[in-house]
Amino acid sequence: MSGERLAVGEIELEVVRHGAGRAIVLLHGFQPIDSAARFVELLARHGEVIAPSSPGFGHSERPEDFDTVYDLVHLYLDLLDVLGGGVTLVGFSFGGWLAAEVAAACSHRIDKLVLVDPLGIKVGDRETRDILDIFNASPEEVRRSSWHDPERFAPDFNAMSDEALVVYARSREALCLYAWHPYMYNPQLPRWLGRIKVPTMLLWGESDLVVTPDYGRAYSRLIPGSRFELIDRAGHHPEIEQPEAFAERVSRFLEE
Amino acid sequence: MRAWYHCENVYPFVPQEVLDRAESVRASLPNKYCDPKIAADLFEECLDEHLLCDELGVNVVSIEHHAGINSLYGASPMILGILARQTKKVRILSLGTLITVRPDPVRVAEEYATADVISRGRLEIGFVKSGDSEMVSGNANPVGYVERFWEAIDLITKTLTSHEGPFSWEGKHFTHRHVNIWPPVYQRPHPPMWAATGDLETSAELGRRGMVNALVLRGPEASKRAFDTYRDARRDAGLPAPGTDRFAYAALCYVGETDEEGLRIGSKTLWFLNTSLKQSAQMSKFLPGRMPPEVQAQNYRSQPRQGTVRRPADSLIGITAEQAIARGILCAGNPDTVYKQIMEIYDKVGGFGHFIFIGRSGFLDHQEAEKGIRLLAKEVMPRLPAATSTPAVEHAHAAE
Repeated sequence: MSGERLAVGEIELEVVRHGAGRAIVLLHGFQPIDSAARFVELLARHGEVIAPSSPGFGHSERPEDFDTVYDLVHLYLDLLDVLGGGVTLVGFSFGGWLAAEVAAACSHRIDKLVLVDPLGIKVGDRETRDILDIFNASPEEVRRSSWHDPERFAPDFNAMSDEALVVYARSREALCLYAWHPYMYNPQLPRWLGRIKVPTMLLWGESDLVVTPDYGRAYSRLIPGSRFELIDRAGHHPEIEQPEAFAERVSRFLEE
Repeated sequence: MRAWYHCENVYPFVPQEVLDRAESVRASLPNKYCDPKIAADLFEECLDEHLLCDELGVNVVSIEHHAGINSLYGASPMILGILARQTKKVRILSLGTLITVRPDPVRVAEEYATADVISRGRLEIGFVKSGDSEMVSGNANPVGYVERFWEAIDLITKTLTSHEGPFSWEGKHFTHRHVNIWPPVYQRPHPPMWAATGDLETSAELGRRGMVNALVLRGPEASKRAFDTYRDARRDAGLPAPGTDRFAYAALCYVGETDEEGLRIGSKTLWFLNTSLKQSAQMSKFLPGRMPPEVQAQNYRSQPRQGTVRRPADSLIGITAEQAIARGILCAGNPDTVYKQIMEIYDKVGGFGHFIFIGRSGFLDHQEAEKGIRLLAKEVMPRLPAATSTPAVEHAHAAE
């Protein structure tokens, strides 16, 4: 826990900052980004990693009536204004949805976009759910679907401190508030993904069962010129299960 | 004191091995296990029990629970409509339509007003925040449900009390551009309002609003805490002290001719606690928004730390009849015994004006239920103390 804060307008966010140089903004998924994560260290060799916790997640306060994805998207549009231009935006899972929204609204502020197992769109028909309902599936199913190697990587709640467990529960509550309905997607987003004009890479854990690689391929088709790559032996969180492979793909993409 | 008959119209006929195998007996148990022909018989029996109550002067409660063996009353307003027409004398309490999962409170108000009119002013309106699995089956966001609860109550109240043409509502959770229901409510300004809760903040707000606070299967200690909080909140707000007419206590209850009969048949109602409360972890202890993260966090441990707050329902699963009686969850025995049990609870909590008795559950059958209702109505009810009333605010001001 860095304890650092980042002010965006009147909102103060907990933030992980690491490294120096070009801004690499990370928008987290279901849980905030761990400052000690190996992939953060690896990415920080290529610029300054800036990973805020969204309001309600981690130790970031959630202002009253700040409770929609609309709020989150505008918060991060504001963040781009604060940082100036030339940002590399990386969004994971739920944060991938936010990153896609931000990029569709404001791609001139962004140099490059990386989406890692992003959510946010509806691909299947009305009777086919694309995204595992993590609030309505058994904890065992969520665990099994999220990780290629759950034994090694899934959180061990018994080993976590009380404080870490509270942060975990708090973040889950915030996620539920923002993304309950429609569940984890914006029906209008596919129409506007074509506005993304920056080089874009989608990375996908090959074993992801929260949201499968086929969903990722469909996502990629909606973003002009984007490319889609799989990461082996990884589930919904390739940055955690395969940090080296993940960082290598990102750094190659950044250097192109 | 007013007695209220409360029957959840449970469906206990699912094979035990199916229930044992199911991760939840609510929301996710396939409805193929519910035979609609048996369901039709159950509705007929339970509605007949309500009609018997009407003959005997026992008020009736219409509840609502969704998608599970614990209740077939999925649509309280429909049952209210039947009770409003078929009963003739007693009061009818809806406890209640799940306003936290219904998208449009105006529609709920319309249904309530209709039932109030059909019954010629015998409706009482109770609000419940609804259970965990119902957020799932009702497709309602569990985060922020308390805020939604109060806004729905405010909108329903305004809908029921507005008579001069359309008004608009643009709240945080509900918007409705043109509210003007027909028929208007029969009782003015509106039917008595209740809420079932053991949550102290909610009880305090009920106190300030003068709504009846019902505690369902919470036992005397939790009930007393809620009632005390209610009283304190009124005192702090400068409002007159409540009479017992603002407090309701609900327990499983069966009156037999003998203690043996009362206990033997009454014990069958424990099915409700021991079998029908089973819910999957994701629909209960892990569902966000149902308890503060500081409390919920411990649920993630396979062995929560000592002193962890449990959901009230969790402490009821597996309870025995003796424990249930000791904890004020069950009253059962002959009329004298049940009278004493009720009065012991009454004294512990500082009095209540409404006793809600859950007189049928599990495999307790229709004949048994009717016998218990008759004995309670004839042998116990007449001995219960009269409710004391709460002064109307206008009177209190006039007296100052």
